[in-house]
Amino acid sequence: MSETAQKLKPLKTWSHLSKNRRRPSEYEIVSVGLHFSTNDPDCAWEQDAGTFMNQWYRDYREGSPVNHEDWDTFRDPDELVYRTYNIIQDGQENYVDGLIKEFDDLEHDQGLQTEWVDALSKLYTPGRYILHGLQMASVYLAKMAPASTITNCATFQAADSLRWLSHIAYRTKQLSLVWPDYGFVDNEKHIWENAPHWQGFRELLEKALIAYDWCETFVAINLVLKPAFDEACLRQLGHAARRFDDSFLGFLTDAQAVDSQRSRRWTSSLVQFLQQNEANQDVLDGWVEKWVPLGDQAIDMFCAALPDSPSAADDAKRDCWSFRAGLGLSA
Amino acid sequence: MALLNRSDWYDIARDTNWTPKYVTEEELFPKEMSDCFDVPREKWETYDEPYKTSYREYVKVQREKDAGAYSVKAALGRMKFLDSADPGWKSILKLHYGGIALQEYAAGMAEATMARFGRAPGMRNMATFGLLDETRHGQIQLYFPHEYVSKDRQFDWAHKAMHSNDWAAIATRHAFADIMSGRDATSVALMLTFAFETAFTNMQFLGLAADAAEVGDVTFSNLISSIQTDEARHAQIGTPALKILIENGHKEKAQKLVDIAFWRNWRLFAVVTGPSMDYYTPLAKREKSFKEFMVEWIVGQFERNILDIGLDVPWYWDTFLEDLNTTHHGMHLGVWYWRPTVWWDPAAGASPDERDWLEEKYPGWNDTYGKCWDVIIDNIKNGREDLTLPETLPIVCNMNHLPIVGVPGKKWDVRDHYLDYKGRRYHFGSKVDRWVFEQDPDRYAGHQGLIDRFLAGKIQPANLEGALKYMGLQPEDCGKDAHDYAWVWNYNKPDKVAV
Repeated sequence: MSETAQKLKPLKTWSHLSKNRRRPSEYEIVSVGLHFSTNDPDCAWEQDAGTFMNQWYRDYREGSPVNHEDWDTFRDPDELVYRTYNIIQDGQENYVDGLIKEFDDLEHDQGLQTEWVDALSKLYTPGRYILHGLQMASVYLAKMAPASTITNCATFQAADSLRWLSHIAYRTKQLSLVWPDYGFVDNEKHIWENAPHWQGFRELLEKALIAYDWCETFVAINLVLKPAFDEACLRQLGHAARRFDDSFLGFLTDAQAVDSQRSRRWTSSLVQFLQQNEANQDVLDGWVEKWVPLGDQAIDMFCAALPDSPSAADDAKRDCWSFRAGLGLSA
Repeated sequence: MALLNRSDWYDIARDTNWTPKYVTEEELFPKEMSDCFDVPREKWETYDEPYKTSYREYVKVQREKDAGAYSVKAALGRMKFLDSADPGWKSILKLHYGGIALQEYAAGMAEATMARFGRAPGMRNMATFGLLDETRHGQIQLYFPHEYVSKDRQFDWAHKAMHSNDWAAIATRHAFADIMSGRDATSVALMLTFAFETAFTNMQFLGLAADAAEVGDVTFSNLISSIQTDEARHAQIGTPALKILIENGHKEKAQKLVDIAFWRNWRLFAVVTGPSMDYYTPLAKREKSFKEFMVEWIVGQFERNILDIGLDVPWYWDTFLEDLNTTHHGMHLGVWYWRPTVWWDPAAGASPDERDWLEEKYPGWNDTYGKCWDVIIDNIKNGREDLTLPETLPIVCNMNHLPIVGVPGKKWDVRDHYLDYKGRRYHFGSKVDRWVFEQDPDRYAGHQGLIDRFLAGKIQPANLEGALKYMGLQPEDCGKDAHDYAWVWNYNKPDKVAV
């Protein structure tokens, strides 16, 4: 040890946050700089650099065409941490519990119109497949993101997907008990794999799941697939539900939209963060142009099957477009 | 119509596999990310996770758990406890947080591997909760130590350690890359959740929690036992995966992966948990010896688990049982001697009373490890602290990246188990470490350990000072004897000399 080394001052926070010269929040203390796998761009994990996993990270994280001088400076605008996520979502689930109880007491399902029950079996309950796909894509983004502050946003997005997949499963069972002849529980996979109105979303989802570049996953999911799903399968489906006196589904899709709005807030922040490097703009625009036609197609095909909703597709596409345009993206 | 129970709808929520049409199955689930066993998809349909929970239950229960852990922390005003805590106990906290917080977060990324690439929807859902759990464990184990950084710079290493080239960080990263971060989803289920989390996390999170309660560190005890309740849930991802692999004729390969993971964990725990329990914890507060905890949690419980599932105990089980008496004592000597190279202050734990306890728990300790401590004690007493400090680096194992240790005294048996592979000589601390390397040499061969880097000229100046700098250790960070040698003066031997 050097006898001459200057004595260091006491720390007020982690040394890596000390340069900020201000009191860190709980969010910063527990969220920033948690990935050590980003330290050596050639070798994410402490083993031979040539292993399949190390190559995977070189290809799809370090090798991504987007760059930033310091990924760890990204911040979630909601500053969510694990502890606060559970507090918020437990509250949100209490609300949904209340809805379930209230509409059960009203014998809501027994009063649904048969035309709408048929629509639910085709348009709502098969949604568990796309929600599970969103869950898978979001955990992949969490795994591959170059900063823990991005990873955490994607982790909570994955959990949100599992949340709504679970509610669909619950509702599927409830509907099957009241309406046993509509294929609830048994027929969703067949519809997801064969009904024309899901094939746009299915194509988009399957292709997005193998867009392994971390940032292309982000663009395909957070800027195209999720907005398309939110607008078509939540907002427009919710509107249709209310027209058929299914206010329960309307309440559920509104509750789900609360999670989607949070997703859009960090999505917007990440796009703006990427745009700090001008060279990223062309990359983002290129990916948006590649994925948006699939998103629009998914909306068109799904909304064509929505009963009594002639403007649904145009409305949904317009709302997706304005979300992206508001971020300075090309489509 | 009545409200539903979880069991009424749970199966629907895990009936989410479909046949891809627009991409291929292989593109969606590359074998190297998904399942190195290549079990056909339909065989995974029987996967049934034994511990079930729903999102609704999860956020409620986890909110309550966090409320408990954080309120205990707030109520007990931790700063006062730390001021009065034994220096050995403080070292346990520094070692624990530095070694574990960011690795737990990295375990979340391995959970994400299972949540994305696992072949069974039940596995993917449980691993999504596992990803959340490990986010919790990373975050809470940063939040709790953060308040100590103003008191003691070594606590900065709760965040910093895994980013550093400290030898202990390299050893930890290497072990966890092998059992989780560098593996496909199915291997993660076997190596992380089954071999590590159903066995070793009990040691660190329940065994150490018992000691913490004895010491009076209620906050830490409460924190790590709360963490273990999460581990106990997502640890069960591996068992049904193992069942499917065995049913489909992959017992031998599954056994091999479990054997590798178990050994990697054992060696790491011998340097982390062994010294913590048998040397750093104040004598009066030790509930059991490290070996006793290991016998209870590993030899007893894990051996039962492994046989129940249809695997055998690892082929090296006898070696492991013998190692329980020795390895961690050697590791402790090494860590204490090379104390400037760690971010905590190792407690020697070698006062007369502590030696009596060690001799009782490990008969023969005085004739072996005690002989080395005799020399250290004499040197300190004679004012020759310099002879108890390192001038260079030890030979470390190319598998576990820990010093190669043996039993001192008459039984001195240290030997280098080396292997030549593609023109390079690799050194191993045991035949088992060499065996691990031989199972998949290209996974390890290109990796450079600290000594390899030293010899390659990457560490300058090429001396201990250069090594400390390379490891990121400032003088205030460097470990020293936790009790400033006070324990030495309990020996009724030659004249006391100021150190």
